[in-house]
Amino acid sequence: MGFFYCRTKLSFTRWNADWKNATALYEQAAVGYRFKKENEKAKEAFEKASKGQEMISSPWDAAKHMESAASLAKELGHWNEVSDFYRKASELYRECGRSQPASDALGKGASALEDTNPDEAVRLYIDACEILEEDGKEQMAFDLYRAATSTYVKLERYTDAATLLLRWGVAADKCNAVNSQCKAYLSAIIIYLYMHDFQQAQKCYNDCSQVGAFLSSDQGRCARKLLSAYEEGDIEEIKRLAQPSPITHLDHVIIKLARKLPTGDLKELEKEEDKETLDENDLT
Amino acid sequence: MSVIDILTRVDAICKKYEKYDVERLNGDNVAGDDAFARLYASVDLDVESALQKAETASQEKNRAAVVALNAEIRRTKARLLEEVPKLQRLALKKVKGLSKEELSTRNDLVLALPDRIQSIPDGSTNGAKATGSWTASASRTEIRFDSTSDGRFESEYFQQTEESNQFRQEYEMRKMKQDQGLDIISEGLDTLQNMAHDMNEELDRQVPLMDEIDSKVDKATSDLKNTNVRLKETVNQLRSSRNFCIDIILLYIILGIAAYLYNVLKK
Repeated sequence: MGFFYCRTKLSFTRWNADWKNATALYEQAAVGYRFKKENEKAKEAFEKASKGQEMISSPWDAAKHMESAASLAKELGHWNEVSDFYRKASELYRECGRSQPASDALGKGASALEDTNPDEAVRLYIDACEILEEDGKEQMAFDLYRAATSTYVKLERYTDAATLLLRWGVAADKCNAVNSQCKAYLSAIIIYLYMHDFQQAQKCYNDCSQVGAFLSSDQGRCARKLLSAYEEGDIEEIKRLAQPSPITHLDHVIIKLARKLPTGDLKELEKEEDKETLDENDLT
Repeated sequence: MSVIDILTRVDAICKKYEKYDVERLNGDNVAGDDAFARLYASVDLDVESALQKAETASQEKNRAAVVALNAEIRRTKARLLEEVPKLQRLALKKVKGLSKEELSTRNDLVLALPDRIQSIPDGSTNGAKATGSWTASASRTEIRFDSTSDGRFESEYFQQTEESNQFRQEYEMRKMKQDQGLDIISEGLDTLQNMAHDMNEELDRQVPLMDEIDSKVDKATSDLKNTNVRLKETVNQLRSSRNFCIDIILLYIILGIAAYLYNVLKK
């Protein structure tokens, strides 16, 4: 790579850095190194090639090289570099005005980081979803939402997962994907119930019932039955409801949670409700 | 030697000595090419077996078994009655080697067939007599719907014999099995519905992509057409006959010069 170096450095005879040729040479070097499996050097070469493409203002190629660099970084295990590279690639894609590859790049980064740095992964997923939503392409975001939700559940950040599901519901609403919307809402309710937060689940159900489609759908009916079973403290009913029915069509992560319902003690829920009635009595 | 081995050996031996199987040969020969005879023989066989079933039904004690047998007999009768028009058509066809009298006898046989089929006892006329407890419903012909939970159960006509108990049990069992089957069907339909919804959304997702692809490919084709036309013009210009002839003439001149030089140098 030495002679590429001398092409870009300004010297006495060169007044302008000859980026064009340098880039071409960097690309060749990178491919050669990758072929020889010298990942470290290949990665650097891709980085430099990408910078060169930027300089000659062709962001598309620059982004492509960035992505290759990022995938090599993933193989090397430099996790922070992975996220940086993918973010940079995504920005370059956005410069080109192509939102789909931008979010794809972030999605790839997120899936690469799922095991090692799940927080960063989730952030990447959410950014990717935002990019698509800005561009009006919510349909493509469904897969990203799904992956992000499963990462959240793995991290046991259930409130975040539920909020994300509600966002998914909004996105589904915009593109008239009624089935996905209802499924998202049902999943959110199940997560709240799993967290043993009955009030939240009730509130969530009431909010979602504003959407007419959910109210009259299979999923809405199932949610109603679940909540009423919880109110009555009927464990058998809850277990029975989790068996067939719309719950089996949800994401498998959610199904696992549903199978573990009911968590905790249903008596507690009843006690809470009794307390409320006592309060009313006191007022009168 | 295992059972399977024995079976295969027996099959092989039977096949070898098939030609000595007189009964089967006779049966085959009788039918032969004659479609009518074949069909008539099978219908005859079915009628005989139905009659036998009717015999067993009349001797059977178990009420539920009787009903089952009667149902089978009724099904067979319906099926045979469907075959009769086919037989009639075949009977009118002329088959070679058949005399005129045989043809007319065939026709008569076919006409007699429906009567024979109808006369097979299938318990539909005996039903009202045998079950004394249900006669009350037979008299109330104006009330059509079949109600099982009306005041009749308290009346003195109701005699709970052992047979009717068994009958009732069998009925409940069958109903339960039907319910189970319907449950399975409904589960399958649920899955189908879910898959159909998902497919719907997927297709919706792909519609704008296809539109994009469509417009891009249109643009590419028009570009290609343009390029082709220009290329054609250029190539034609290059290949215009005038240039071609000039090329050939110049080639000849060069060859001539080369030959001349060759001759000169050879000397």
